[in-house]
Amino acid sequence: MGSIPQWRTRRHAFGALAAAGVVLAATACSTPEAGGGDGGEGASDGPFTIGVSNGFIGSEWREQMLSVLEDAFAEYESEGVVDELVVESADVDVNGQIQQIRNLIRSDVDAIIVNPNSPTALDEVFAEAADQGIQIVAIDQAVESEHVTNVVIDQAEWASISAEWLAEEVGEGGEIIAVNGIDGHPANEDRWSGAQQVFEEAGVEVVANDFAEWDQSQGQTVTRDLLSSNPDVDGIFVQDGMALGAMQALQAEGLEDEVAITGEARVGYMKEWDQLRQDNEDFSSIGVPNPPSVSVSALHVVVRMLQGQEFRSDALDGNTLYLPMPETVTDENFDERFAEVEDEPDAYAVDHSITPEEADSYFQ
Amino acid sequence: MTTPSRTEAPGAAAGAPPPPLLLRAGRSALSARMPTLAVAALLVVTVAASAVLQPNFFSAYSMTASFATFLPLATIAAAQTIIVLAGGIDLSLGTIVTLAAAVSVVLMDGDDARLPLALAAGLATGAACGLVNGLVVAGLRLQPIVATFATSSVFGGAALLVLPQPGGEASPALTETFRMVVALYVPVPAVLLVLLWAAWRLLRRHRFGQYLYAVGGGADAAYTSAVPVSAVRVFSYTAGGLVAALAGVALLADSGAGDPTLGTELTLGSIAALVIGGTRLRGGVGGVGGALVGAVVLSLIQGLVFFAGVPTDAREFVYGCIIIAAIALAGLLTARGARRPAHAGGPR
Repeated sequence: MGSIPQWRTRRHAFGALAAAGVVLAATACSTPEAGGGDGGEGASDGPFTIGVSNGFIGSEWREQMLSVLEDAFAEYESEGVVDELVVESADVDVNGQIQQIRNLIRSDVDAIIVNPNSPTALDEVFAEAADQGIQIVAIDQAVESEHVTNVVIDQAEWASISAEWLAEEVGEGGEIIAVNGIDGHPANEDRWSGAQQVFEEAGVEVVANDFAEWDQSQGQTVTRDLLSSNPDVDGIFVQDGMALGAMQALQAEGLEDEVAITGEARVGYMKEWDQLRQDNEDFSSIGVPNPPSVSVSALHVVVRMLQGQEFRSDALDGNTLYLPMPETVTDENFDERFAEVEDEPDAYAVDHSITPEEADSYFQ
Repeated sequence: MTTPSRTEAPGAAAGAPPPPLLLRAGRSALSARMPTLAVAALLVVTVAASAVLQPNFFSAYSMTASFATFLPLATIAAAQTIIVLAGGIDLSLGTIVTLAAAVSVVLMDGDDARLPLALAAGLATGAACGLVNGLVVAGLRLQPIVATFATSSVFGGAALLVLPQPGGEASPALTETFRMVVALYVPVPAVLLVLLWAAWRLLRRHRFGQYLYAVGGGADAAYTSAVPVSAVRVFSYTAGGLVAALAGVALLADSGAGDPTLGTELTLGSIAALVIGGTRLRGGVGGVGGALVGAVVLSLIQGLVFFAGVPTDAREFVYGCIIIAAIALAGLLTARGARRPAHAGGPR
């Protein structure tokens, strides 16, 4: 550890730093231009390559979202409109999803359908993709980037439908507990603000509110805990993916005939609903579908964008295309709706997508 | 502290021991014990494979995107290496990245004028978190792996308090600079990567750099040699936290907006990168140079699995298998050179 050689090398390192600084300062900086890929602006005849980025797996909803997309894609493929579907699907954080999207950009896709993990933190990589002439559509959750067209359902409206039903059930002055998704998650915030507004206007009091991450078993635990500290409530507002769990907690207390609960349009819950209807004629519930086939609707839209079609002036709200809300499952139409999906697995969500013709109506 | 600078250039002859003159020249040119032989070989292989499998791997966009992807992981790997060298480990580094990024983005709020203040606050946050870790580990003498697991919840929770939901915009100057190239072809993140390495060489030459190896190689021996062991430990965590905050800034520049989960998943990647880079997890052996290359290799492998056309459901599995192979290879090749006493003197 002689001090003189040490000084020498330190000076070298300083020199390297200084040199790097000089290079930085002296060289004109520039931003790389869009590469000469074939994904140019405007109309093209295809066939198109479409990339998919999904940052969360292990939920049946997402699996359904991807499998229905593959089926719809195969149809376009047989028509020669598209040629390849490049799927990036894994449990990643925002940083991982940025890499997913960069991989898709470098695979020379013409368009990307993304279920985004963040409404804002993918902005820069979306700009990179747009720079390369790639069309981007976000599904399930809207993003803010101007380069992206959101194809989503209105989450606030979605929640307000079951909130209205619940407000009617418990009446003015009724007390309810709420089982929500993930605190701070944009879809959760949108939904809860929609529901809260309904409850306020109807004079319904929310006595407790907790989060169960859209998970059935957590939904059961959270509901049980909320019920034990608030045994006299009149109703439960619960988001989809947790309603079956919440119902099981309610049944464990023997309260299913006294406490009203918002349901979900998934087969597992509908089986329970069917059973309860047979046991008690007065049993009432509601299930507002949150369709995984939003991916298919997005595919219809993005193909038309790639073909160079322009949106009608009234089709978009900002950069968002709100899909029509699928028909709600109610006591009146239950038998018919249940018969359609009875044979599907419990996790299957009642589905809906726009038709190609409906997609056409969004364009000029 | 493995084989000396034989391997600083991927192309360097790896067979017979090089003549002393060449060795000396190599030493003084870069004064580099850059990565070990193993990680250099892995780098060559992964770059070659990427060039074959990715049509435009060397295009300007691809280079910029690649280095933008490397930098955050490489930076947090550097941070982890500083801590591991001194015999610690930090499972909270990912959440320090998150918290520092959250503090920065809230303060800068898309305004270039507030950038310096926001960066300073972000870096200070990272260093403060590291200081807390250091004090808990060195002062309270808790096991680092448990203590930092606990503080990771604290920092992650604090990030949620600072930035309850995704939002906040990075300043345009930051995101635009990050995407520039200098000298027509070299992306800014690549320059930053080199600067990071140069800064490490400075620290490595400094007394505290030497102490890191001494404490990690054997705390008792270091103590009897009048090395301030506790101070060095606290220093290593603080420096690690500071560097992790730099990773947070890089992520911010890369993503353009804040998110309360940004970076949390980088912790395990940082450990894998440093092991591939030839740093011994028990401490005292290794260096940041190897970890930086290890992070690049790790990122490249991730891309390779995608571009090799592995179906999406099988990618995690294949990626995991390749990482195991890479770590095994790194272990095999570095074990040979690592026999020498860790801090027996000499700046190598």
